[in-house]
Amino acid sequence: MSTETVEIDIQLVEQLIKEETAALDAKHARSLSYRDEAAVRLPGGVSSSWQMWPPHPIYIDRGKGSHVWDIDGNDYVDYHNGYGVMVMGHAHPKIVEAVQRRVELGTHFAQPTEDALIVAEQLHERTGLPFWRFGNSGTEATLDLVRIMRATTGRDLLVKIEGTYHGHHDALMVSVFPSEADAGPADHPNSVPQTKGLAPGTLENTVCVPFNDVEAAERLFAERGSEIAGMVIEPVMTNCGVVLPDPGYLQRLKEICHQHGAMFSFDEVKSGFTVAWGGAIEAFGVQPDLVAYAKALGAGLPCGAIGGTEDALRMVIDGDLDQVGTFNGNPLTMAAAKVNLTEVLTKDAYVRLDEINSILHGCEDIIAKHKLPASMKTLSAKGSIDWRSEPIHSYRDLWAIDDRVPQLGWLWQLNRGVFKSPGSKWESWTTSIVMSDQDAQRYVDNFASFAEAITN
Amino acid sequence: MAVQDPIEFDFDRIDSLIEREEAELEPKRGASIAYRAVADRFVAGGVASSWQDSPPHAIYIDRGKGNRLWDIDQNEYIDFHLGYGAMVVGHAHPAIVEAIQKQAPLGTHFAQPTKQLDVIGENLADRFDLPLWRFCNSGTEATLEATRLMRANTGRDLIVKIEGTYHGHHDSLMVSVAPDPADMGPRDHPASVPQALGIPQVFADLVRVVPFNDLDAVRAVIAEEGDRIAGMIVEPAMMNCGVILPEDGYLQGLKDLLHANGSFLAYDEVKTGATLAYGGATEVFGVTPDVICLAKAIGGGTPCGAIGATRELYQPIIDGTYDMAGTFNGNPLTMAASAATLLEVLTPDVYDGFNRIDKAMKDGLSSVIERYKLPAYVTGVGAKGSVIYSTKPVREYRDAVGIDERLSYLAWLFQQNRGVFKSPWTKQETWTLSVWHTEDDAKAYVDNFEEFAAAVSS
Repeated sequence: MSTETVEIDIQLVEQLIKEETAALDAKHARSLSYRDEAAVRLPGGVSSSWQMWPPHPIYIDRGKGSHVWDIDGNDYVDYHNGYGVMVMGHAHPKIVEAVQRRVELGTHFAQPTEDALIVAEQLHERTGLPFWRFGNSGTEATLDLVRIMRATTGRDLLVKIEGTYHGHHDALMVSVFPSEADAGPADHPNSVPQTKGLAPGTLENTVCVPFNDVEAAERLFAERGSEIAGMVIEPVMTNCGVVLPDPGYLQRLKEICHQHGAMFSFDEVKSGFTVAWGGAIEAFGVQPDLVAYAKALGAGLPCGAIGGTEDALRMVIDGDLDQVGTFNGNPLTMAAAKVNLTEVLTKDAYVRLDEINSILHGCEDIIAKHKLPASMKTLSAKGSIDWRSEPIHSYRDLWAIDDRVPQLGWLWQLNRGVFKSPGSKWESWTTSIVMSDQDAQRYVDNFASFAEAITN
Repeated sequence: MAVQDPIEFDFDRIDSLIEREEAELEPKRGASIAYRAVADRFVAGGVASSWQDSPPHAIYIDRGKGNRLWDIDQNEYIDFHLGYGAMVVGHAHPAIVEAIQKQAPLGTHFAQPTKQLDVIGENLADRFDLPLWRFCNSGTEATLEATRLMRANTGRDLIVKIEGTYHGHHDSLMVSVAPDPADMGPRDHPASVPQALGIPQVFADLVRVVPFNDLDAVRAVIAEEGDRIAGMIVEPAMMNCGVILPEDGYLQGLKDLLHANGSFLAYDEVKTGATLAYGGATEVFGVTPDVICLAKAIGGGTPCGAIGATRELYQPIIDGTYDMAGTFNGNPLTMAASAATLLEVLTPDVYDGFNRIDKAMKDGLSSVIERYKLPAYVTGVGAKGSVIYSTKPVREYRDAVGIDERLSYLAWLFQQNRGVFKSPWTKQETWTLSVWHTEDDAKAYVDNFEEFAAAVSS
């Protein structure tokens, strides 16, 4: 960690944001005009609100390997990867072949097909969890987790971490990005609604604790343990950069949950298949009762999965609780997921991700050289630069960060051929197994010129 | 509609026929039955969704083509199940195969907008008469968004729904989906029954349940709880007890009552959209709601959903006051399949074809019912139809409660043993047609039904 850091001149940053936005606008003439056409039929011109980040939505034409092209023909190395889905790269030949082959055999029957078992076997091998079911998104997966925890325990109360997102169904749309004004005391955080239109009763039935804080969890369980159905946690907290769990934290949470007859669930929608071959379960050696996957599982097709111990899925196995969905286990999705897990995201692939990471760590030298108030963290395909000298340890650490700095960093990369997810105050990057050394170096070089510009 | 002097079913006979047909089916399904034990090791219950496992055993599918389907025992079927009504385009339709094969090499997921969106939005606006659309991944996600839109725009919390309808598996609408008669309470004030364990009663209590086809019931709820009602969600043709059509004036009456109360009307057209007609039930019954939920048929066999609404309802989303979001929303592969489905396959002229086959089904089945004096009648519109085992019209869920489900189970077994694949579970015979279905397919269905009729009435 750097001992002394420069102070960033925010006026300079604002000036540069203006310049970089103007430069970006000039490159995105077709995106800008298409947005107006699309807005006639789509609110905001997009199909998801998180596709309309300022200054304007960017319409993508195609992707191949580690690159994407927007409809203006701009070419980027893709570190966005569809919010962390495309760790296998775009249009991977094996996935393309699997999709093209399956589509001719029919893609939907709402009946079981054989590929689902192969995917489940793979998931078992990677996590040790024996039983699996499928869905169509991370939202559906965490919705199923919540239902199963409540049904199994006969209790209503959920515990989540302050500042994490687990999909957009009501039960977990609580304290996702609470503001400093709403969040309440650190040792007793408020349950803050993340959206309008939540069912009343949601806030009373979901409470949160800070990440990496064992005492807070112990205190909550001591007070309300007998009401708690279970806890949902991202084992690597990924909406404020990449926040790693302190040693022993996850294991201790599991023990606390079990001591109180509550269940312990991982949301590995983002960390699954990206932070390690076996996700966070492998990386940190803690097995939860239930786990949710989505994103990278389907190799670019809408998918989700839940896994669990035999006890945790007992009611589903016995038919006492239906876990359902017309498209669950969709044969096209399963065909893509099967090849993704058996032939693409193999153990070797994670060696390559580490090599890319070692190039990206060149950013640390730049941070040191310019004495930037920043720190870097990576875990396999996931990484982030936090605009803070000490890495982010919990959600509230974000409040002191001025989001103009990461906004400028994002614009800077976009204008120089690197596509990244927006809102980098709380979004990490995702690399892909098909990135070249040059692709990785481009990020570092851009970061170097950015560091130069803001410390001038 | 109903036949004169219908026969009375002999349920001892039906039980023995069920036994006979199950015994006949089992040897044909050796591979499925054996595979279930294998799949059980890693897939909870051996299936990817609980509703893929119906008695007597789960059936594992190998492939489909057009109107045909093959299970892993290589039995061939004419498919009237069509993936719970999603595959009205038929399996592996060349236009959709081409669209997917073309899109896959260009990348299938960016979590960024792509250029197919406005074309699909335009087509849906043309069909359903609502100006603005967003996309998602399932019917469950679509009705979740519809519920939130109504609550967010009114600042009210109560949702009115119909007793006995399914709108996806999120907490807000998993209420009184198929309530047990012992729990459902009086008809003039039905109980709000959580449909599954794990749904806190506090969420069920935010739903007021009313019978279908009863405007007075809605009037009464509004009189009681008016200023708390955000909106009502309804399947404009109720689909989980056969195909129950709305009576004249019902849908318009709902819209008028709700609007007068400052509440919204949402249609769940997950099952009826682009199947009953080009513009779904909205077109058939001529009443446009404030919100429409779509899924199933519009994705051509890929996981998809869509939410259409008025500009008023979407204004907070446009302004960014609240987010309607999802990583896979508008997935380029889904959108490519959807564009081919809506623009190339389910064109206005195919609905004449559905109506022609629907007529062949109805005429044939009605004639069998007539000749064998079955206490049953036929109903349906476009690609959706059903035989309802009742002499008096089923107008709402409670009318279907007393129907003995052994009848539809036996009819299902008869069809399965004779080359017709149909969806299980329902107390009614429900079918879906695809653009590939022919009069010969209708005849095969009717002939099997006649064998069933002969067996139960002899």
